[in-house]
Formats: sequence, structure tokens, C-alpha cells
Amino acid sequence: MRFPLALGALLPILLAAGAAACSSSAPSNSASSNSDTSQQLTLYTSVTQNTVTAVVNGFARADPGVKVSVFRATTGQLNARITADQHSGGLRADVIWGTDPLSMESFAQENLFRPWPLPGLAGVPAADKATYFWGTRELYLVIVAHKGLTPMPQTWSALTESAYKGKVALPDPAAAGSAFAALGYFDTAPGFGLSFYQALKANGAVQVATIPEVVTDVAEGRYQLGITLDSEVRTAIAAGSPVVMDWPSDGAISLYSPIAETVAATGATNTAAQAFLRYVLSPAGQTAIGKTGWQPVLPGIAGPPRPAGATEVHPGWSALFGRQQQILQQYQAIFGA
Amino acid sequence: MRAAVAAAALLVAALIAVLVVVPLESLARIAAADGLTGIGRALTAPGSRVAIEHTVAVAAAVTVCAVTAGTALALAVERRPARSRMLPRLLIAGPLVIPEFVLGFAWSQAYGPAGLSEHLTGLTMPGLFGPAGIIAVLTVYGLPLAYLAVTAGLAARADPALERAARAAGASGWTTLRTVTLPLLRIPLLGAAALVFVTAAGSFAVPQVLGTPAGFGTMSTLIYSDLALSAGPAAFTELTVLALALVVLVLLALGPLDLWLARLPRAARPQTPPAPPTQRTRTDRAVMAIVWAYALVAAGIPMLTLILTALTRGPGLAPVPANWTLANFSSGLDGGAAIALARSAGLALAAAVLAPALGALVAGLARGRWRGPLATVVTLAYALPGSALAVGIIIGYGRWLDGSALIILTAYLAKFWVFGHRPAQAALDRLPPGLTRAARLSGARPGTAARTVVLPPLTVAAATAAALVFVLAFHELTMSTILYGPGTETFAVVIMNQQDLGGVGATAALALVLTAPVVIVAALTAWLTRRTGPSARTPVFIPNGP
Repeated sequence: MRFPLALGALLPILLAAGAAACSSSAPSNSASSNSDTSQQLTLYTSVTQNTVTAVVNGFARADPGVKVSVFRATTGQLNARITADQHSGGLRADVIWGTDPLSMESFAQENLFRPWPLPGLAGVPAADKATYFWGTRELYLVIVAHKGLTPMPQTWSALTESAYKGKVALPDPAAAGSAFAALGYFDTAPGFGLSFYQALKANGAVQVATIPEVVTDVAEGRYQLGITLDSEVRTAIAAGSPVVMDWPSDGAISLYSPIAETVAATGATNTAAQAFLRYVLSPAGQTAIGKTGWQPVLPGIAGPPRPAGATEVHPGWSALFGRQQQILQQYQAIFGA
Repeated sequence: MRAAVAAAALLVAALIAVLVVVPLESLARIAAADGLTGIGRALTAPGSRVAIEHTVAVAAAVTVCAVTAGTALALAVERRPARSRMLPRLLIAGPLVIPEFVLGFAWSQAYGPAGLSEHLTGLTMPGLFGPAGIIAVLTVYGLPLAYLAVTAGLAARADPALERAARAAGASGWTTLRTVTLPLLRIPLLGAAALVFVTAAGSFAVPQVLGTPAGFGTMSTLIYSDLALSAGPAAFTELTVLALALVVLVLLALGPLDLWLARLPRAARPQTPPAPPTQRTRTDRAVMAIVWAYALVAAGIPMLTLILTALTRGPGLAPVPANWTLANFSSGLDGGAAIALARSAGLALAAAVLAPALGALVAGLARGRWRGPLATVVTLAYALPGSALAVGIIIGYGRWLDGSALIILTAYLAKFWVFGHRPAQAALDRLPPGLTRAARLSGARPGTAARTVVLPPLTVAAATAAALVFVLAFHELTMSTILYGPGTETFAVVIMNQQDLGGVGATAALALVLTAPVVIVAALTAWLTRRTGPSARTPVFIPNGP
């Protein structure tokens, strides 16, 4: 019986050794470090890493007194982290920068955000403003087509035509915030509704998991058409993949990537959080966003190229807020998981 | 002596509280927030009911397939001459060093529509996207677990002399297998079945990749969907209820089994079997052909496809040298990957040392009526999907450990404790009951008796467990992406953040970068082991004669 005791005695030593071996010794790959006396700011985000890095590095140059700690994860993991925070002493983020307005509105309804603190900032379109958060960049949902497909669908509703039977891939709205925005748009748009998804299902459309997977499947010829983000199509085209962007004539579905200050930001952190929001919506911050492949919200700041005459449509966000679960359940009754 | 046992028991109780009770209780508090109505609503929602049925069906099918195939392969391979066992063992156990999500993804690229096999031969695997494909890939992942358990069982329990006696008495090969070999192997077989069942029930990546296009969901994919919507409290409640339902499912499947196993007599073979013949037979060659074919289909072709995908510039391009690039790798390795690699290795190493130590501690203490329940309790956290366990850990310890490497290590230990415990328990079970007492009666002190009798078999089990835990912890992605903080990013987190699993090439590169270090270490170990010739020390068996 000496054996378990020996192990027991060894345990604390091993635990200490393990902890020491893995103690945090390296700087974050995206946060900047300036001085020991700098103001700390914690940012939770689901925005792509290269965009976050570009913006945080730019902010570090503009405001060296603030050190930004970044927690970046996918929308689902970010949600899990925030909810877990709430159950263990409170939210630890001062600023949350999300991908889609629907998730952010859910946080707002949980009273996690301060009302938008900088109403005087100029240039942000009214469509990208809500009570608690403002948009920072625009994402566009478009149709991706396999190169050489004829005829190409001109509108969203054309995807339900028999010519495209069994040829369309859709992203899973439960896996991607942007796919959920598309679902939200069609749910409320005149002439569509959830019957649009019923017609797609009847036409043999298939749901795949993520937005990039749609482009992969179309490029590889598994499907001929799909609903995805414009940035993904551009990346695939740049890599030489056999796909083309098909911007619907009735407009790409536009969603904005919102940012908000949380109730956890108080005192000096409050000032730092607002300085960060101000930077993200400044010409310098917006230029950094534009350079990483996204459309900035400020007019006049260059983003990726758009086809001539391209138009866009906006989901009625306020009508969707609070109905997320219900819409998803209705969708899953059609494309059932 | 009594004080020592009491201290060890106290330590085990504390470990169970820290690694199992606190995370589960944290989730249960959220699940119960809306009372019984909320729990009932979450469980009876149409999606939940279907997902529970799918999970049970898939896990049961995988268990049957993996344990049957693993046993058949082990019986065929482990009766070969010792020297020629190393290669088939490596080929069969190989998929264990490939992360689960990589295996599912690689199969879809290799055998799916527009995959490599269709390009080369025009053939695709029917039913790959759907339950059949999920069961096939999870069987490949679970088969090594069954194979290793049966191999250990053969080494310790199935005395070849009994089989020879049966054959000499006129029993056919099949009768001998049915009435002698398999009954002797029932403990390792059932142990392996339990582990495979829990692994398959909790699997997320494979059902996500292969089930989504077919509209086939399981409990873990439904939990993931809820996670994406968990900004809303209702979805979060449903998530925790489903995660706990998965734990209950495992409890129902495993609890009675562990209790029953605990009551079985600890029969063990007291001596090393006689030396085997060294001549290869025609059967040996047939076995090797089957093993090679299996390894090629299960892991070889999918991994080759993965390499080609990672090297190709973009999806839809032919994987020929003209389209090759290293961009998918270089972009993923930007931004602090080297430091994160060292941190991941440190964390995996700590888990690989601690999990077997903690497992051995429980196994050493678990006697009599405590043995079965303790085995089940240690498995419970493993049954939780990684995302749910991470949430339970943050709620339990986030206040004090948030953003530290220790919180990640705690999650790894909670999740992988079972891999440290079950091999240690099996090793101790193999000890003939009176051996330690005999050593004491012969004058050995307690320490000497433990060192010379208990430790040798335990060392082998602990080394196997350590290797397995190292691989699993090094590959761990789901919990790490929720638990990390600034300065505690693991290798998988940094690479995933850089790539955001953006495109197929980036995902393939990530998969290879995660798999390669483990494969290299495993291959080196195998090579070194072969050079030092351990096969001469391992027990060997007489092949089935004609």
C-alpha cells in the first residue's frame, strides 16, 4: 500500500511542475505590449485573426498607453466563453467585436452592453447602427458558381429552378452567423419566407457545414452553386480555383460586423474601451479592415472590388431580434439535422 | 499503513471532486435553472429525441464493428511470430495518432464525391455522407482501442495451453475460439467495448463532417448548434441538458458493466507462455495482406489525399506539381506558433505524466465494492463533449484560474483521466491475487513487494497510457479554444486562429501540422524499440495450426 501513497505524495510536485512548465510566458500573438503601467483592455472577438491583428497593432501605435488582450474564437465558442464568464464572477471582456448582429443582440438582451457610448462619431450608415452596437465592416452573401456553368442564375429565387436541381449547397445557419443572417433575410423578405427554403429542399439543395465548405464543394464540382461570402469566393479565385462570383441582381445580402462596449468596462478601462471603439471606426482603423479583405463601413475607405452595378439588400434586423431560436427551429424542420 | 490508505483515499475523493463533480455540478446548475419544465422541454424537443436515438445507434454499431474487427485482427496478428508483429501492430494502431477531425475530413476528401478515388477510378464510397460513413470512420478510430485491449488480454489471460488442449481433444478452431479463447478475453473485450462506446457517443467532428450534408445529427452536433446560438439563454440551457443527458447515457451503459466487471474473478496466467515457432505460414501472409489493405484504406489513402490537398493552391485544382504551394503551411505558422508548440508540448507532457499517475492512484485504491463505481466516475467527464466540459471548468474555476495554463491542464486531466485509469486497472487485475502476499511471506518489505511485484506490469500500462494521453492532449482543440487566454494559446489554437479553418487547403495543412509531430515521435519510438528488440521480451503465442 506504499504505492498509492507515494503517488499521492508525488502529485502536488507534478502538478506544480506541470503548471510551471506551461505557465504563461509568451506574449499574445495579437496584443501589443508597451509598459507595465499601461491600461489593460480585454477584447473578445470572432472576427478573423488577420483583421484583429491589423486593427490591434494599429491601435497600439495610435494609443500606446493601452494594452489589448485578445480572446478570439468562432462565434459558438465565443458564446460559450461569455456565458461561462457570466456564471463565474461576471463577464471579463471590456469590448466585444462580433460577426453578426443577431448574436450581439442576444448579448444586449442579457444586459451585457452599455448603450452605444459614442453617438457623435460620423460616417457610419444608419443601417449599421443599433442601440447597443455599431457596425465596423460589411459582409456580403452572394452566389458562388462552378466555372463554366451555363446558364448562371441571375437572382436568388432562380436557385429553386429545375435547371439547378441537386446542384446547390447551403451553409448551416447553426454553424455560421452569416448563414444565419441569410436565413433571417429570406424569412422576412417579401416574396421569400421560409417557403424559399422548402422550395430549395424540394429542388435537391444540400446543407453543408460552413461557409468555406460551400466554396470548396462548388470548386471541386460536388455542387455547381452555393450561398457563401464574397470574401471566400475572391480568395478561391485568387488561388486559381475554378469558381466565379455570381452577384444576384436582386442584391447580395449584407450583414454588418458589430462592436460594443460591455458593462465590465469601468473607470480607466471605460476610457480605454471607448478609445478602441473610436479607433476601429476611424479612417485608420477602417483602412486596416479594408486591407484585410473586408468592406469598411465608412464611405470613401477602399475595400475589396465589387462588380459594376452590384446592389445589396439588408435583413430587417429589428424584426429578427428575439426570434433567432424560433427561426432556426423552423429551418431545421426543413433541412433537419 | 491505515493512515496512508486513508490519505490516498482522501486524495482520490478530492480529485473526483475537482475533475468530475465540480464541472458536472456547474453544468447541472444551469440545466436546472428553468426547473423540470426546462429540462423536459430540452429533452423532448423533436431534434433532441432524434439526436439521442442517432447517438445510441451509432455508438452501438461502432462498438460492435470496432470490437469485432479489433478482436479478429488481434487474434490473427498476435499469434504470429514475435519478430513480425511490430509492423502489423503499427499499421493497425496508426489511426490513433491521427486527430479524429482529421480522419473524418480526410475520408471525405479521399472517398467522397469529387474526391481522390473518384478522380483516379471513378468510384466513390456509397453512403459516406450519412450514418454508414460515420460508423465506418469511427470504427477506424475505435478499432485500435479494441485491438490494444485484446492484445493486452491475450498476453495476460488467454493461456495457449488451454487452446492446445481443446484442439488436442478434437475441438475445431471455431469451437476453440468460441468456448476457450473468447471467454478468457471477456474482461478486456468488455473494457474495450465500454471505451469505444463512450468515444463514439461523444464524437463530434466525424458526425459534423459526414452527417451534416445528409441531415444526420447526433447529440454532440446538436450541442454544437446550440453553442452557436448560446447567446440566448434557452439554447444554453438546452446545451447543458443535452450534455448531461450524454453523461447519463454513458452512466446507464457503463455503470452496470463496471459493476459486473468488478465482481468477476481476477483470473490471470501465472507464467510466460512457451516460445513460439518462427516459421511463417501461408496464413501469416494472408493476415499481413489483410492488415496492409486495411491500413491503406483506413489511413493511407486518406492521409495521402490530405497531403495533396494541403499542397494544392486552391480547391478544385488538380493535385499536380504545377498547382503545388507551401502557402497553406506558411500562413498557418505565422504569429507565435513556435512558442505555442512548446507550450502545447509542455501541457501534453504534464497531462501524460499526471493522467496515468492519477489513474494508477485510483486503480491502486479501488478494491471490492468501490472498484466498479470508481471506474464509472472516472469516465464521466470523458463522456462530456469538450465544449460542455470547458464551460463546466470555467464556471467552476474561472474565477481563480481564468486565462492560465493550469485551467487548460485541469480540463485535459478531467477529459483524459480515463485513459490513465483503465489500463492501470487492467494491469493490476492481471496480477495473481496472492503474489504480493507471497512476496511479503517470503520476507519482502511492503515497499519491496510493491516495487518488484506491482510496479513492473504497471509501468507498461502507464507508459502506454502516457503515450495515448500525450497524443490526445497535443491534438486537443475544442476545450483549448474556449479556455485559453492571452499568453496561454496552445499550438492548435494559434494555427486554427490563423487559418480560421478558412479553406480546404488551410484545414488540410493544419491537420498535417498537428499530426506530423506525433507521427514522427511515434515512428522514432517504434524504430528505437525495434532496434533494442523488445519483442523478445513480450509474450508470444503458438499460431493456430492447420
